Amino acid sequence: MLVKLTSVAHVGLSSVPVDVEVDVAAQGFPGFTVVGLAGKAVEEARERVKTAITNSGMEFPGKKITVNLAPADLPKDGGAYDLPIAIGILVASGQLLVNDTVTNAVFYGELGLSGDVRPTKGVLLVGLFAKKHKIKEIFVPQGSAAEASVIDGITVYPVKNLRDLMGHVMGSAPIARLKRKKKEKTEDDVVEFDLSEIAGQEQAKRAMTIAAAGGHNLLMSGPPGAGKTMLARALPGILPPLTPAEALEVTRIYSVAGLLSSGTSLMHARPFRNPHHGISAAGIIGGGSNPSPGEVSLAHLGVLFLDEMAEFPRSVLESLRQPMEDGVVSIVRVGAHVSYPASFTLLAAVNPCPCGYLGHPKRPCSCSEKQVRKYRSRLSGPILDRIDLHVIVPSVETEKLSGQAGSVSSKTMRETVIRTRKIQEKRFAADGFYTNSQMKNKHVKKYCALDGETHRILKLAVETYDLSARGYFRLIKVARTIADLAGAPAIAVTHMAEALQYRSAMGNS
Amino acid sequence: MKAFNRDTGRIGEDLAGKLLQEKGYAIIKRNFRTRFGEIDLICKDGDTLVFIEVKTKRGLDFGSPEEMYTKGKAERVKRMASVYLEGGETNCRIDMVAIVLGDDNKPERMTHYPNVILW
Repeated sequence: MLVKLTSVAHVGLSSVPVDVEVDVAAQGFPGFTVVGLAGKAVEEARERVKTAITNSGMEFPGKKITVNLAPADLPKDGGAYDLPIAIGILVASGQLLVNDTVTNAVFYGELGLSGDVRPTKGVLLVGLFAKKHKIKEIFVPQGSAAEASVIDGITVYPVKNLRDLMGHVMGSAPIARLKRKKKEKTEDDVVEFDLSEIAGQEQAKRAMTIAAAGGHNLLMSGPPGAGKTMLARALPGILPPLTPAEALEVTRIYSVAGLLSSGTSLMHARPFRNPHHGISAAGIIGGGSNPSPGEVSLAHLGVLFLDEMAEFPRSVLESLRQPMEDGVVSIVRVGAHVSYPASFTLLAAVNPCPCGYLGHPKRPCSCSEKQVRKYRSRLSGPILDRIDLHVIVPSVETEKLSGQAGSVSSKTMRETVIRTRKIQEKRFAADGFYTNSQMKNKHVKKYCALDGETHRILKLAVETYDLSARGYFRLIKVARTIADLAGAPAIAVTHMAEALQYRSAMGNS
Repeated sequence: MKAFNRDTGRIGEDLAGKLLQEKGYAIIKRNFRTRFGEIDLICKDGDTLVFIEVKTKRGLDFGSPEEMYTKGKAERVKRMASVYLEGGETNCRIDMVAIVLGDDNKPERMTHYPNVILW
């Protein structure tokens, strides 16, 4: 008998329906074949499904079983097809009666040998897929079901094990549908450092506020121990929480990457990623034969922190160019062409030279000029050009260290940032993005009108510093954020001047 | 030594045949020869045709009989079975009987594994 069930395959962030056809033949040699470009994990489904069925008190038919995963040309991998295959075999062998529940739903989940359904990645996308294709019911692993609970209009059944699911299909013991959580309690995230704990560094803190408010890229350079890393770690504390629309975007990526902790529905805190500089290019932009998201995508709408940026391999840094400019990263592999969103704020920290003390007021720098030049050349022009804010984090004087710590706390700073983000959100409501830094050139022209005097300063700056066309637009975007921070409707001379100050620090630190 | 092994196999096949007859299987053919090798026993269990591979071991010093039934062996039995079927399809399966013989040619253990699938 032939049974057809529906499951889902993910290609990047989009989902494709997969027909799971299970045939249990009346004649022929007993065996179990899976066809349809099944990857290793799907091949091994045979062992899992067989044992899970036996251990759930059902009989694994000693017949010729053929499973087809259609479409045939789409590579499929992972354990998510275990559940539809198992149900298909039970129905096709006459142990479960076919009804609408089976044919009109999506089954998705990996089986353990005991028959338990294990948390499986990508459940949020399954929910979105069901909604789009007007499928009413989805059966997903209990451990990951919360992800799909945020989607309206579909019924999510959290499946604990195969036995429960059989009880549901037979109607003897229906599984309780997952209730949509009204409001998840959002505990304030514990932040490693509060800004008020960090002495001095007012300029760096100001730059961080601008970066957080407008999503601009920030480079901090300074001697070792000045507090660059500490400042960076304080940044999550001043970032605004994700808006519901943003949360869905970010959670999708984490769902596909399988990085959501069990029971999480939507993420609330902005991602803060700090990969070690040993990372590979595939690790940062994403890779694999069915490409999974890399660090740039995991940092989407959040912060990508590159500590000791000059220590990163050149190939890694240069691979950041496309995502930094476009906010998306396209990964091409033999089997798939995938785009992941990657609109992140780059936060980087570097030393001014290999020994770290170039320009230090007291300690001499022991590097030769050639060493310094070589060190600097690790950060290419195109990358530096994409970084809007450049601040020097000097070493802190002893009087300041022992005296009063910083005046502003992360909490007040965060409120300012949230207020400024609200202004931007309202402004870009019709454009489909959230922050000033995401503006394209046409938006800059539309939203950032400059008066005569401001324009004159800008023109002067472009001539003096030889700014690139990109630099020109980025400068205006930063000025827009500074104006928003001040609550000013138009960009004034002072805003432009401040924006310029961060850019011109580049190259002469 | 070779002949000795063949005797062990012959004794095992006899024992397996008796075991299956006790279970109600009807034996159709013994030692069905093909160019791939031979099928030890072919029986009928109700309306199901059963191909039986018998593995006999004298003591467990060189591993259990179950261990001897490898993927390659399974493939071969399957191929021989299709020769027997001559392309026709019926209800059929492959069973295995594992026998451990003691020194006095008496079975220490006989286990019948219905429907052994190796994929």
